[in-house]
Amino acid sequence: MIIFLILIVLGSVVLGALRFVRGPSDADRIVAVDILFTAAIALCSLAALFTQRVLFLDIAIGCMLIGFVATLAWSRLVEMSRRENEEDAP
Amino acid sequence: MTLIGLSILTLGVLVLLIASLGLFVFRDALSRQHAATKAGTLGVVLIVAGTALVGGSWSWAWRALVIIMLALLAMPIASHVLARAALGRSPSNDTVLFEE
Repeated sequence: MIIFLILIVLGSVVLGALRFVRGPSDADRIVAVDILFTAAIALCSLAALFTQRVLFLDIAIGCMLIGFVATLAWSRLVEMSRRENEEDAP
Repeated sequence: MTLIGLSILTLGVLVLLIASLGLFVFRDALSRQHAATKAGTLGVVLIVAGTALVGGSWSWAWRALVIIMLALLAMPIASHVLARAALGRSPSNDTVLFEE
């Protein structure tokens, strides 16, 4: 049962990685990173169920914090670089 | 309890799959962000709640509560900042949002 759920989440990881590779703009890639970190949290929960160890839920908490900071930093970077480009070429 | 937890878990996994499918259905970065982040938040909350129900003891439950609270706090902020990053990148402001 848990194996099937892990396979479905892996399908979502494949979709996110495909969008990360193909994404035409930088913003698409950051959305893909957000989906990949969400799938990482889901995989951590499923690993906790699969091995019956609570330890993996702590790793899920860490993954969520890292994903939040990563999304925040990269999207601020993209926004600021776009603003600089607009100022250079009005 | 295990049956309820497993059904909530399956629902969350399917919601997460739909969220990542939204990356390919929509056309520009702003609508992709709209599809991915909101459904992703719901998916994470459902998956972690299902995990706590299947796990079935307090050491699972309070960790799951921490994750759910962090998700409800952090993911809307990430979604907002993502939307600001994706705003100027959309090719046009047409009303057509779907490709095919």
